[in-house]
Amino acid sequence: MSQAPDIDSKKLTANIKAGGCAAKLGSSELASLLGGLSGKGDERLIAGIEHFEDAAVYKISEDLAIIQTVDFFPPLLDDPYTFGQIAAANALSDVYAMGGKPVFALNIVCFPTCDFPLSVLKKILEGGADKVKEAGASLAGGHSLEASEPVYGLSVTGLVHPSEMLTNGGASPGDVLILTKPIGTGVGLLGLKGEQLEAGAGSDLVSSLTELNDVALSVARRFKINAATDVTGFGLAGHVREMAKASGLVAEIDTCSIEYLPGVVELASQGFVPAGAYGNRQSFSDFVSYIKEVDLAYQDLLFDPQTSGGLLLAVGEEQSRELLQALKAEGLRASIAGCLIEGDNPGRVKVF
Amino acid sequence: MKKEVDLRGLVCPEPVLRTKKLLDDKSVVCIEALVETEVNVKNLERLARSQKVSMSSAPEGEHFRVTIERNGEGAQKEPAPSPGSHAHGQGASQTQTGVGTVVFLGKDYFGQGDESFSRNLLDVFLQTMLDSGHLPRAILMANTGVKLLARDSSCRKVLADFKEAGCDVLACGLCVDFYGLKDDIDKDDITNMFAICEYMMTADKVLSP
Repeated sequence: MSQAPDIDSKKLTANIKAGGCAAKLGSSELASLLGGLSGKGDERLIAGIEHFEDAAVYKISEDLAIIQTVDFFPPLLDDPYTFGQIAAANALSDVYAMGGKPVFALNIVCFPTCDFPLSVLKKILEGGADKVKEAGASLAGGHSLEASEPVYGLSVTGLVHPSEMLTNGGASPGDVLILTKPIGTGVGLLGLKGEQLEAGAGSDLVSSLTELNDVALSVARRFKINAATDVTGFGLAGHVREMAKASGLVAEIDTCSIEYLPGVVELASQGFVPAGAYGNRQSFSDFVSYIKEVDLAYQDLLFDPQTSGGLLLAVGEEQSRELLQALKAEGLRASIAGCLIEGDNPGRVKVF
Repeated sequence: MKKEVDLRGLVCPEPVLRTKKLLDDKSVVCIEALVETEVNVKNLERLARSQKVSMSSAPEGEHFRVTIERNGEGAQKEPAPSPGSHAHGQGASQTQTGVGTVVFLGKDYFGQGDESFSRNLLDVFLQTMLDSGHLPRAILMANTGVKLLARDSSCRKVLADFKEAGCDVLACGLCVDFYGLKDDIDKDDITNMFAICEYMMTADKVLSP
């Protein structure tokens, strides 16, 4: 008689090659796939595929626009409730990155019922539901499929006043780039999977992954933000490049001033680097140059795909220090990532 | 001892993890591994570099053969990226203390111009340096520079932050006495001209704004 698989003890991440945003298709693949798909322009679609915006924004009236976004991925750690929380925080983040407020969400679920008990799925969904509730939004339904690999995420709808919408473009020369969460989640998750992170570093990583960007946005609103995005699958270098390109400027990234999650620099130097980081490096290498010798570990961290990353905000230099202090006062591990300047070949990224 | 391992089909970070565990055993001097992807090869290259062992690789059919060799006695584990050979300091802490840069503040203002503006500018300079993460090894104060540590100085907080970040913040004792600031300044922050000379002579770079 054949033995039934021990489904109660199987790890959620067993056989997952890459979880979280490290599982996403690369930037250059996406560019070639999406080119030419958007069809006849609808002038009410005020943010979309062009300029790689974080979400679609559709103007309903002079005062109101709908934000729509979708995000899902395979498990990136074994605890199902935490996975649900992270996937939800990640999906909700795009609404904040556009300057909006989430109002409701729909679940997207793929689940192999032969490999895991339904109680595991229930915990994933609870994690997601609790995070949606924390954001002040409602879970309004969703769709689920039997599949060979677990996948979870959400489609999120938000609202924003059209004049308050934040986009990638619109940064001004001299703007300082402020990051609201430390980077290194891709590397950190590999380290967590390999049990190489100390307990404190592990819980810092999970806290960062499950943290909503709502507080960061509400602090940012007290200042004049010229451009905003959230840092996710393309890594910090990729998202900085998008902002620079959309704004017609050149970016400078300062690897010394960026905050990194605890333990990730050492992990990166030992080779705990996800495949997505190499993919991002390849996608963006034509646009990135190193102004001084930058250690490979720090380079890898710039390309490290982030899951549920922080907001990247472009703000005038005169306000930048105050914004940084205001974010830190709320307990956020914010840092200066660099700046945007005039220069030849906009969209270039110079790394210090 | 030589170890041969087949790391094909393993999901990240298993290939790096298993190789690292093998290298932790100092009796292992050579590892021959078969890996599946270029990403595996690149990750093992990084591991080899951090463990100060040599590595070569070559495609073999649909996979890659990787050879790692421990060179000679005392092949030490390399610490997180160090400031000597690279651009960054210890990896563990986010702000990196640059070895060899010393800031000398011989006056309590920055540049020449309007007095109050110039004093405020020094505060801005120090705050900017702190925020940038480019920390000097030490900040030395002499002559009117010691006034920056006075109880009523607006720079006192930022200098305390530098100290907390691991920077040496020191004021010349002669100057502290001359300006009557002995009660204002912590004993630990007072130094003498000899130490100031030592710092300056051994520094790679002395900044004097």
